[in-house]
Amino acid sequence: MMQRLLGIMLGLCALASAQAGSSFEVTDNSREAYSRINPNSTPEQLSEAFRGRSLFRQSWVIAPAKDIETTGLGPLYNQLSCLSCHAKNGRGQPPETPQQAMRSMLVRLSLPGQDPHGGPLPHPVYGTQLNEQGVPGVPGEGLVSVDYREHSITLADGETIALRTPLYRFADLQYGPLPADIHFSPRVGPPVFGLGLLEAVPEQTILQLAEKGKRQGVHGHPNVIWDDERQCAVIGRFGLKANVATLKQQIAGAFIGDMGITSPLHPEENCTAAQTACKQTLSARQPELDYAQLKAVLLYLRLLQVPARRNLGDPIVQKGEQLFRAIGCTACHTPLLTTGEFLELPILSGQTIHPYTDLLVHDMGEDLADGRPDFQANGREWRTPPLWGIGLIQRINEHSYFLHDGRARNLTEAVLWHGGEALSSRQGFAHLPTEERLAVIRFLESL
Amino acid sequence: MTHLLHALVWLIVGRNKPVRAIARTGVSGTPNAGNAPPLLSPGGLIPAYILLHALAWLIVGLCANPALAKEKLTVLTAYPEDVVSRYETAFEQTYPDIDLAVIWKMPHDALPYLKQPKQGGVDVYWSASQRNFMVLKQQHAWQKLGIDRSGLADSLGALPLVDTDGYFCVTEMAGYGFAVNADYLKKHGLATPKTWQDLADTHYQGHLALPVPSRVGFAPMMIDSVLQQYGWEPGWALLSDIVANARLVESGSTFITDIIGSGERGIAPTIDFFTASAAANGAPLHFIYPEPVAYSPAHIAIAAASQHTDAARRFVSFVLSDRGQKLLFHPDIRKLPVRASVYADKPDHYFDPFSETKAHPVVYDPSRASPRLALNNALFDRLFSDHLQRLQNLWLQLRKHQQSAKADQAERLVKIRQLLTGVPVNAAKAETPTLQQTFSERSTDKKAEAEAQALEQAWSKEIDSRYAEAENLLKQLGP
Repeated sequence: MMQRLLGIMLGLCALASAQAGSSFEVTDNSREAYSRINPNSTPEQLSEAFRGRSLFRQSWVIAPAKDIETTGLGPLYNQLSCLSCHAKNGRGQPPETPQQAMRSMLVRLSLPGQDPHGGPLPHPVYGTQLNEQGVPGVPGEGLVSVDYREHSITLADGETIALRTPLYRFADLQYGPLPADIHFSPRVGPPVFGLGLLEAVPEQTILQLAEKGKRQGVHGHPNVIWDDERQCAVIGRFGLKANVATLKQQIAGAFIGDMGITSPLHPEENCTAAQTACKQTLSARQPELDYAQLKAVLLYLRLLQVPARRNLGDPIVQKGEQLFRAIGCTACHTPLLTTGEFLELPILSGQTIHPYTDLLVHDMGEDLADGRPDFQANGREWRTPPLWGIGLIQRINEHSYFLHDGRARNLTEAVLWHGGEALSSRQGFAHLPTEERLAVIRFLESL
Repeated sequence: MTHLLHALVWLIVGRNKPVRAIARTGVSGTPNAGNAPPLLSPGGLIPAYILLHALAWLIVGLCANPALAKEKLTVLTAYPEDVVSRYETAFEQTYPDIDLAVIWKMPHDALPYLKQPKQGGVDVYWSASQRNFMVLKQQHAWQKLGIDRSGLADSLGALPLVDTDGYFCVTEMAGYGFAVNADYLKKHGLATPKTWQDLADTHYQGHLALPVPSRVGFAPMMIDSVLQQYGWEPGWALLSDIVANARLVESGSTFITDIIGSGERGIAPTIDFFTASAAANGAPLHFIYPEPVAYSPAHIAIAAASQHTDAARRFVSFVLSDRGQKLLFHPDIRKLPVRASVYADKPDHYFDPFSETKAHPVVYDPSRASPRLALNNALFDRLFSDHLQRLQNLWLQLRKHQQSAKADQAERLVKIRQLLTGVPVNAAKAETPTLQQTFSERSTDKKAEAEAQALEQAWSKEIDSRYAEAENLLKQLGP
């Protein structure tokens, strides 16, 4: 009896500690769980965030158009709206067949070498991203299709898992061939909630996590990048290779790179000198996303809440959490962080959060390598992706494709693709008895 | 061929040569079998076992047309991303040989866009903007749909589902009705309204929110549905009664559903999928379809200048197919299909207009409404928006007197009511094309704008005089 009471009390404590973390955690299992704005915001903030939400969901329009505030798509672009790649603020997905176009996925490009600040060297004609679409009169840059080849691996318990390797085709390249040594990196759109919290994690914490990792034999490191806005080298934390310093820059970069929409940070259209039709196309206005709009989108994303964990009392979930830690996953997928003082938006300050990332880039092995260095992240390194909310992807985005290019069809495959310095964890997972392996997955599904 | 494949595999795998990206130029829509793009792996190195399979696939590709050579089909629409992306994906799965490009334009921009030479390269126009379809039909902008309409009804009560000449047709509908906050109604002891007439009940005074049609995009058609259902003069009279109970809402960051969801008001006429979306976001709302329901249809047409008619017809047919229509049930879309048979597979509690019309036949025809919407908007503003406080005050007094009216006051109360519910344009005049054009063209034609303003001034004078007379009569009735 006493033991049962103690068990209940421990369970309640676990529940309380998990839920007491942050006013940014929202208990919501619905398909809107990635879209909740922190209700503790001021009325003025909420009003601005709603404006930002409208812009984030807006399908942008080709100039000329009457609604000047949402005009300026292209001349070259990938999609019409932010929501295209971040459906319901969640994950994009790769095409299911080679015949399908990339709808929530894009391909980054660069040449061997570095730009003057150590970043990727843009292709002189195609730049750093293949824009598949163009406004009328401006040819889209080309098409990329993806096909997969499967191979099987056998786990310690005898279960066979098929993994699929993506293979890409470039076609209809409208501005000339790409060189044989082009670097390219396909990526699906990642979730966009919780980014304000990650922005509020102090740099010192990131550096400490790198030091702590080294003591554990993990050699993740911050990606020190060039901040164009502040004109100095800083730690990157956004983007799949942590190659962007701030959320504002990430947003402005996506507007220009994915939709061809200029902003105060990117006042020039995304046309290279060789793209004459693109260069001759008139902009809707200058800039197409003005400062107030950029600020509104920034506030919206910063105020988005994060789904709280679910099924904390489930013994299988608890077992999975122990195993997740035991096989070393938490060396990179850091379960708990605390945000620092964030003067731009104090509501983000001092929050205890459960992002399951260390914001460092890690060697993930040859199989996941894109061979495209990005500042200090080499071609095998990726930033540890946050895992919060991952258990709701299936419900919200109606798919279960994971990893940077969506090659994993479920969480098990995603774990089994880990290599490099995550290899021992991957092997630990592969050697678990069936029930324990499923417990790890159940734990991930509780996030 | 097998020997060649094995030889090539050996040449590449045997030498363990890294395969890097080699891209080639192709002309859009023109297969170039000799230059079929190779399979590439980011980072360049492809495991040998993968390469074996990949090379085999490549050889197949060399022997056939490259899969990526597609016919481009351009669709102009104003649908949000949630709708567009689902149709893009599903259509592409069904027709992998067609590359669907979407141009997004609001209806007011779509009209000039489609009037450009070659119609801006647009093949298909798909939007909930009946007026655009009708205007462009007059300008010979469409070609006949020429699709198989088996299983599709030509009408739903008074609502035509296909153009009489076959140039465009309805692909889906949204229902007008009432967003309701059940907790609010319970707290205030209010019954759930079933009809527009119910909203005029004095019990709802102070509990409604009503969108202003000149400011809120979906409202003009909805207001006209009241006029069609009840008749021109009785309809305006009913609207005046309803306005007496309502807060008027203009477009902006505060949406109708926010007002009802937050409990500021309890009931608001709106459109079904807005309410469903707000409810999905956690707002304590549900939607009441009135008896009968009025629908806002979305149409589809093929541009006369399209060079891809077959592909366009495939797209139109796909949107109207079982699969295309069932996509409308998705919780992120929530529209009403026009293919009656798909309702057999509808989600639980999903509204079925074909079943509903048997009990309460549809009376609203949006094609009748379209020419007079601008006129309606102007009348609404001059009658109600310009005098809201004054009008509500008059109604308040009138209703008070009606509750305790003496026999000798009845005639005077009827007179006051007539003054508050009268409309300065009668039914016959409202149907006059010249009057309708004056208002529909005012935004683009200075002369029309001047005429419209002159008419509005005259109406305002008449309305002011009516309300002043009502005030005077009420004064005579005493406090």
